[in-house]
Amino acid sequence: MERISQSQLASLIILFQIGSSPLFLLASEAGTDAWLSVFIGMLCGMAVLIAVTLPIYRKTPDKNLAEIFTGTFGKVAGSLFGVTYVVYFGYKAVRNVREFSDLMILYLLPTTPLWFIMFVFLAVAGYAICQGIEVFARIAEILLPIIIIVYIVLFFMIYCTGIFDYQRLLPILDDGLKKVADAAIPELISFPFGEMVLFLMFWKHASPSARTTRTTLFSFLFAGTFITLTNIVIIGSLGTLSGISVVPLMQVVNLVQFANFVERLDPVVALLLFAGVFMKMTAYFFGTTLVFTQVFRMNRRKAVIPVGLLIFMGSLMFRSYMQHIWFGFEKNLKFHFPIFQIGIPVFLLLAVILKSRLQGSKSPPS
Amino acid sequence: MIQTVLGTSSDIVVRKINDDSTGLDGVAFVYIYDLIDQQTVNQMILHPLMTEIGEQTSPSSSSEWLKIIKNKVLSVGQVKELHSMDEAVNQLLEGCTLVFLQGCTVALAANTYGGEYRSIEEPSSQTVIRGPKESFTENIKTNISLMRRRIKSTELRVELRQIGKQTKTHVGIMFLKGIAKDKIVEEIRTRLNRIDTDSILESAYIEEFIQDANMTPFPTIENTERPDAAAAGILEGQIAIIVDGTPFVLLAPVTFVRFFQSSEDFYQRYDIATFLRIIRYVSFFISMLLPSLFIAISTFHQEMLPTPLLISLAAQREGVPFPAIVEALLMEITFEVLREAGVRMPRVIGPAISIVGALVLGQAAVQAGLVSAAMVIVVSFTAIANFVIPAINMAIAARLIRFVMMILGGTLGLFGIMSGMMVILIHLAGLRSFGVPYLAPLSPFIWTNWKDTFIRVPQWAMKKRPPTMASKNNITRQGKGQKPAPPGPNSDT
Repeated sequence: MERISQSQLASLIILFQIGSSPLFLLASEAGTDAWLSVFIGMLCGMAVLIAVTLPIYRKTPDKNLAEIFTGTFGKVAGSLFGVTYVVYFGYKAVRNVREFSDLMILYLLPTTPLWFIMFVFLAVAGYAICQGIEVFARIAEILLPIIIIVYIVLFFMIYCTGIFDYQRLLPILDDGLKKVADAAIPELISFPFGEMVLFLMFWKHASPSARTTRTTLFSFLFAGTFITLTNIVIIGSLGTLSGISVVPLMQVVNLVQFANFVERLDPVVALLLFAGVFMKMTAYFFGTTLVFTQVFRMNRRKAVIPVGLLIFMGSLMFRSYMQHIWFGFEKNLKFHFPIFQIGIPVFLLLAVILKSRLQGSKSPPS
Repeated sequence: MIQTVLGTSSDIVVRKINDDSTGLDGVAFVYIYDLIDQQTVNQMILHPLMTEIGEQTSPSSSSEWLKIIKNKVLSVGQVKELHSMDEAVNQLLEGCTLVFLQGCTVALAANTYGGEYRSIEEPSSQTVIRGPKESFTENIKTNISLMRRRIKSTELRVELRQIGKQTKTHVGIMFLKGIAKDKIVEEIRTRLNRIDTDSILESAYIEEFIQDANMTPFPTIENTERPDAAAAGILEGQIAIIVDGTPFVLLAPVTFVRFFQSSEDFYQRYDIATFLRIIRYVSFFISMLLPSLFIAISTFHQEMLPTPLLISLAAQREGVPFPAIVEALLMEITFEVLREAGVRMPRVIGPAISIVGALVLGQAAVQAGLVSAAMVIVVSFTAIANFVIPAINMAIAARLIRFVMMILGGTLGLFGIMSGMMVILIHLAGLRSFGVPYLAPLSPFIWTNWKDTFIRVPQWAMKKRPPTMASKNNITRQGKGQKPAPPGPNSDT
């Protein structure tokens, strides 16, 4: 079986979590306290991770999600669950593809047809999946330090230019804690902090498995802190403007002028977004393909093509970026995603525990 | 009999001696004139056989004679007994002199290997300012001796074999037992044994038969003509494959970053070496990406440039009839033609070509309004950056990728370049060289190797061999506490 090291797992988790989050101002309803909402969201996500997702992994450390389903509910019912997760993971990939391609058209290539960008993006991701989980994890390991360094330089420049003003973060908790918590739950649990359910597909490859839990928690914490920090920087730089811009980070960077020479840093942000969204999308694409191979008993390299086509068609279904965002934030985050991120996993965990109890009473360990 | 196998080539010399006085009847020598050292044959074989043979007591049987000749008469270092015709012909083609006796089924082969070879000269493709000035030659024996002189360890192993049905080329693998990983040595042996071909004329033949990936522009086996570089590789656990007939020795396994190390890095001060090494990485990216970035920015993302620069660029491009991508491809192809001409043409014509290249294609093309001056700068800087990469096979990979990148940059702008880079990264991450991940130590992350990857730490700080290649049981390179320090205040000196 393919193996990934702990540092590779950590890079995967961090990149996956950061992914497309800096594209949006998370929890913008909370106004200047958005970063507090993000922080609360992270804690809740962490709770879900510790209470539900990780225990499933620890009960069945050598199986991925699809194998756990068939192992617990039998072939037919397990495959049915598998299909629902093909839909869920696939839909997440669709969202990422769409977000990314629309932004590319918005900022870099206004005249290129949308489908072409999507096609290229999916083709690159498909190539990564053909190469396997080891290669994918290695890319994460190489990209992570580059991305972190670029972010640090960017934040440093923003600070030096004097855009950042911590006064914009004040007053803290002006509208009370309730508004902050309302913004955080359930939206921020579903995106991005509850998405760790995908890693049930990858954890089994991590070695040594004894340290996987620790690595996961630490990298999750790191990513969460990082997202909170980004949020603070955006609000501190844009203030009330941040709620209305399409990509707030791009807006902030537009204001940076450094040493009369560095003026246009948009492409740098585009590069960061490219790397982040690419990793996240490929992770979902990968997860979809893996479940797909499990359910339909197919070779991974062959399964990439139908799955890729499904995602491609799916991402063409939204009429516009605005519809896409509205649908995502209003419907999916509140109603649909929690089912897959919390509902089914809780059910699965109970089933796994129950099954191991039953088996334990039937055949006591010799 | 020999003549039936080899035909009547005029360079085969058969000499018979019939001397009844000693009781030895019918001795014959066979050698190929061009492969032997005439002096050795005369002094060590012919002369003793003709004169000293009389001093021996004459035995009865011819096999007794053979023993006497082998042990007392032939004063050559290496004498072998041959039992079959095939063996005899092989030895003959290797440059041995065969001695036959009438009535005896065993022949003797005395090593009289000789003939003209190029002497050891300065390396021509991997030059250094400071460092040894020897390079390998076409002779495998010289090459092995060059290596043996550098590594006098008892653990140094040389395994010779012949590959090629027609050429019967000697191919040797050389490694340090205990430092090279046994698994990799075994892998190289099996891959070499699997080769079934007519001819091996250069080490590239071997390389193409044994490399891990064929569908890649990136080399997965290193080659060098510098004995010191090969020795350094062997000391780090690499395995050298030495091929007769070429001065280029193969080194495997290899990682991506090794192609950016020059042996001179270790002969200069470490801080300077680090600086030079970073320059090389930067040059690699320039030579791969600069034209495509220029195309992408000037076609799709003009807003990224500061306004004064944009205006000056636009003014230059005003009279140019082509889009930027066509202009760049035109110039790049022109340059590739010039470079190829520079390599192939006779040395005497050199200056003429450089005048044509510099004046006609640079100056005149701009004045004629065919290309913009900025494009000429971009293309020539790219070309020069390409020469910085020490390994020519890696430089060629960058050249090839450049063209793909230019097309991507011309059609999809920065997005295309990013996608292309991502594909290259995925591709590199998937490559292996004899089981060693190509991108190690970047990923999988190996901290020990980082001391000699982007930076080079001083010799005393490299306490361990890189674990990517060297065996884990024998990892320590040197003792502790080697950092030089000034003598204490109490010391007299």
